[in-house]
Amino acid sequence: MNNRMRELRGDRGWSQAELAERLGVSRQTVNAIETGKYDPSLPLAFTIGRLFGLSIESIFAPEA
Amino acid sequence: MTYTNRPLVHACLLSALAYIATTWISMRLLAGAMVDAPIAMRVVVGLLPVIPIGLAIRAFVQLMRAGDELQRRIDVEALAIAALAIGLGALTASLLIVAGAFDTTAQKALVWVFPALVLTYLFARILACRRYG
Repeated sequence: MNNRMRELRGDRGWSQAELAERLGVSRQTVNAIETGKYDPSLPLAFTIGRLFGLSIESIFAPEA
Repeated sequence: MTYTNRPLVHACLLSALAYIATTWISMRLLAGAMVDAPIAMRVVVGLLPVIPIGLAIRAFVQLMRAGDELQRRIDVEALAIAALAIGLGALTASLLIVAGAFDTTAQKALVWVFPALVLTYLFARILACRRYG
Protein backbone atom coordinates (compact mmCIF):
# COMPACT_ATOMS: atom_id res chain seq x y z
CA MET A 1 0.00 0.00 0.00
CA ASN A 2 1.27 3.48 -0.86
CA ASN A 3 1.03 6.28 1.66
CA ARG A 4 1.89 9.96 2.17
CA MET A 5 3.09 9.61 5.74
CA ARG A 6 6.64 10.81 5.11
CA GLU A 7 5.43 13.82 3.14
CA LEU A 8 2.83 14.78 5.76
CA ARG A 9 5.30 14.34 8.59
CA GLY A 10 7.88 16.44 6.74
CA ASP A 11 5.33 19.22 6.17
CA ARG A 12 4.87 19.47 9.93
CA GLY A 13 8.58 19.26 10.68
CA TRP A 14 8.21 16.21 12.86
CA SER A 15 10.85 13.54 13.26
CA GLN A 16 9.85 9.87 13.10
CA ALA A 17 10.29 9.69 16.87
CA GLU A 18 7.96 12.65 17.42
CA LEU A 19 5.31 11.18 15.15
CA ALA A 20 5.67 7.80 16.86
CA GLU A 21 5.14 9.42 20.24
CA ARG A 22 2.01 11.20 19.03
CA LEU A 23 0.66 7.95 17.61
CA GLY A 24 1.64 5.83 20.61
CA VAL A 25 3.77 3.42 18.58
CA SER A 26 7.49 2.79 18.20
CA ARG A 27 9.68 4.78 15.82
CA GLN A 28 10.39 1.55 13.96
CA THR A 29 6.69 1.14 13.27
CA VAL A 30 6.50 4.64 11.78
CA ASN A 31 9.53 3.86 9.64
CA ALA A 32 8.04 0.53 8.49
CA ILE A 33 4.78 2.25 7.50
CA GLU A 34 6.57 5.07 5.67
CA THR A 35 8.71 2.65 3.68
CA GLY A 36 5.69 0.53 2.80
CA LYS A 37 6.98 -2.54 4.61
CA TYR A 38 4.05 -2.62 6.99
CA ASP A 39 0.41 -1.68 6.55
CA PRO A 40 -1.14 -0.31 9.73
CA SER A 41 -4.27 -1.74 11.30
CA LEU A 42 -7.55 0.10 10.74
CA PRO A 43 -7.53 1.66 14.26
CA LEU A 44 -3.98 2.93 13.74
CA ALA A 45 -4.86 4.22 10.26
CA PHE A 46 -7.77 6.16 11.79
CA THR A 47 -5.44 7.58 14.45
CA ILE A 48 -2.99 8.65 11.73
CA GLY A 49 -5.79 10.28 9.75
CA ARG A 50 -7.09 12.10 12.82
CA LEU A 51 -3.59 13.32 13.70
CA PHE A 52 -3.02 14.79 10.23
CA GLY A 53 -6.63 16.00 9.93
CA LEU A 54 -7.18 13.98 6.78
CA SER A 55 -9.26 10.99 5.71
CA ILE A 56 -7.65 7.58 5.50
CA GLU A 57 -8.18 7.52 1.72
CA SER A 58 -6.19 10.69 1.27
CA ILE A 59 -3.21 9.23 3.14
CA PHE A 60 -3.28 5.58 2.08
CA ALA A 61 -3.92 4.25 -1.40
CA PRO A 62 -3.76 0.73 -2.79
CA GLU A 63 -0.81 0.02 -5.05
CA ALA A 64 -1.70 0.45 -8.71
CA MET B 1 13.14 -3.38 15.69
CA THR B 2 13.92 -3.11 19.34
CA TYR B 3 11.84 -3.19 22.46
CA THR B 4 11.73 0.17 24.20
CA ASN B 5 10.59 -1.18 27.56
CA ARG B 6 14.02 -1.72 29.08
CA PRO B 7 12.91 -2.87 32.56
CA LEU B 8 10.96 -5.75 31.02
CA VAL B 9 13.81 -6.62 28.65
CA HIS B 10 16.16 -6.71 31.64
CA ALA B 11 13.68 -8.89 33.55
CA CYS B 12 13.65 -11.35 30.64
CA LEU B 13 17.43 -11.45 30.43
CA LEU B 14 17.87 -11.81 34.19
CA SER B 15 15.36 -14.68 34.22
CA ALA B 16 17.25 -16.37 31.38
CA LEU B 17 20.52 -16.06 33.32
CA ALA B 18 18.82 -17.38 36.46
CA TYR B 19 17.54 -20.31 34.42
CA ILE B 20 21.06 -21.18 33.24
CA ALA B 21 22.42 -20.87 36.79
CA THR B 22 19.68 -22.96 38.42
CA THR B 23 19.91 -25.61 35.71
CA TRP B 24 23.65 -25.90 36.23
CA ILE B 25 23.31 -26.02 40.03
CA SER B 26 20.43 -28.49 39.85
CA MET B 27 22.22 -30.88 37.50
CA ARG B 28 25.46 -30.69 39.53
CA LEU B 29 23.63 -31.43 42.77
CA LEU B 30 21.55 -34.27 41.35
CA ALA B 31 24.60 -35.90 39.81
CA GLY B 32 26.80 -35.35 42.86
CA ALA B 33 25.89 -34.44 46.41
CA MET B 34 22.24 -35.48 46.14
CA VAL B 35 22.60 -38.81 44.38
CA ASP B 36 21.30 -40.67 47.43
CA ALA B 37 18.94 -37.95 48.68
CA PRO B 38 15.24 -38.73 49.21
CA ILE B 39 13.16 -38.54 46.06
CA ALA B 40 11.18 -35.55 47.37
CA MET B 41 14.39 -33.54 47.79
CA ARG B 42 15.60 -34.60 44.33
CA VAL B 43 12.29 -33.50 42.82
CA VAL B 44 12.51 -30.08 44.51
CA VAL B 45 16.08 -29.54 43.33
CA GLY B 46 15.29 -30.94 39.90
CA LEU B 47 12.44 -28.49 39.42
CA LEU B 48 14.46 -25.42 40.47
CA PRO B 49 14.91 -24.18 36.85
CA VAL B 50 11.12 -24.04 36.44
CA ILE B 51 10.96 -20.96 38.71
CA PRO B 52 13.10 -18.67 36.51
CA ILE B 53 11.36 -20.06 33.42
CA GLY B 54 8.03 -19.01 34.93
CA LEU B 55 9.40 -15.56 35.71
CA ALA B 56 10.83 -15.28 32.18
CA ILE B 57 7.50 -16.24 30.63
CA ARG B 58 5.68 -13.67 32.79
CA ALA B 59 8.13 -10.92 31.79
CA PHE B 60 7.90 -11.96 28.14
CA VAL B 61 4.10 -11.83 28.14
CA GLN B 62 4.23 -8.35 29.74
CA LEU B 63 6.77 -7.32 27.10
CA MET B 64 4.52 -8.52 24.28
CA ARG B 65 1.51 -6.74 25.74
CA ALA B 66 3.50 -3.52 26.07
CA GLY B 67 4.52 -3.62 22.40
CA ASP B 68 2.69 -1.94 19.55
CA GLU B 69 0.97 -3.79 16.71
CA LEU B 70 4.07 -4.23 14.55
CA GLN B 71 6.09 -5.57 17.48
CA ARG B 72 3.32 -8.04 18.22
CA ARG B 73 3.23 -9.16 14.61
CA ILE B 74 6.99 -9.71 14.67
CA ASP B 75 6.68 -11.68 17.91
CA VAL B 76 3.89 -13.86 16.52
CA GLU B 77 5.89 -14.59 13.35
CA ALA B 78 9.02 -15.37 15.37
CA LEU B 79 7.12 -17.61 17.79
CA ALA B 80 5.42 -19.48 14.95
CA ILE B 81 8.71 -20.07 13.15
CA ALA B 82 10.41 -21.15 16.40
CA ALA B 83 7.58 -23.51 17.39
CA LEU B 84 7.48 -25.18 13.98
CA ALA B 85 11.27 -25.40 13.67
CA ILE B 86 11.72 -26.87 17.14
CA GLY B 87 8.77 -29.23 16.66
CA LEU B 88 10.33 -30.51 13.45
CA GLY B 89 13.77 -30.64 15.07
CA ALA B 90 12.47 -32.58 18.07
CA LEU B 91 10.67 -35.03 15.79
CA THR B 92 13.79 -35.51 13.67
CA ALA B 93 15.97 -35.96 16.76
CA SER B 94 13.60 -38.50 18.28
CA LEU B 95 13.49 -40.49 15.03
CA LEU B 96 17.30 -40.46 14.91
CA ILE B 97 17.48 -41.61 18.55
CA VAL B 98 15.07 -44.46 17.81
CA ALA B 99 17.19 -45.38 14.77
CA GLY B 100 20.26 -45.47 17.00
CA ALA B 101 22.06 -42.66 15.21
CA PHE B 102 22.67 -40.84 18.51
CA ASP B 103 24.09 -42.27 21.69
CA THR B 104 21.76 -40.32 23.97
CA THR B 105 18.42 -40.67 25.70
CA ALA B 106 15.17 -38.84 25.16
CA GLN B 107 15.38 -37.52 28.74
CA LYS B 108 18.70 -35.78 28.02
CA ALA B 109 17.43 -34.45 24.70
CA LEU B 110 14.26 -33.02 26.29
CA VAL B 111 16.28 -30.67 28.52
CA TRP B 112 17.37 -28.79 25.40
CA VAL B 113 13.92 -28.24 23.93
CA PHE B 114 13.07 -25.06 25.84
CA PRO B 115 16.49 -23.36 25.46
CA ALA B 116 16.45 -24.28 21.77
CA LEU B 117 12.96 -22.80 21.46
CA VAL B 118 14.11 -19.52 23.04
CA LEU B 119 17.25 -19.30 20.89
CA THR B 120 15.31 -20.09 17.71
CA TYR B 121 12.71 -17.48 18.64
CA LEU B 122 15.45 -14.84 19.12
CA PHE B 123 17.02 -15.75 15.76
CA ALA B 124 13.63 -15.73 14.01
CA ARG B 125 12.85 -12.37 15.61
CA ILE B 126 16.04 -10.85 14.18
CA LEU B 127 15.03 -12.11 10.72
CA ALA B 128 11.47 -10.80 11.13
CA CYS B 129 12.80 -7.40 12.30
CA ARG B 130 14.97 -7.16 9.19
CA ARG B 131 11.95 -7.87 7.02
CA TYR B 132 10.11 -4.89 8.46
CA GLY B 133 13.17 -2.65 8.44
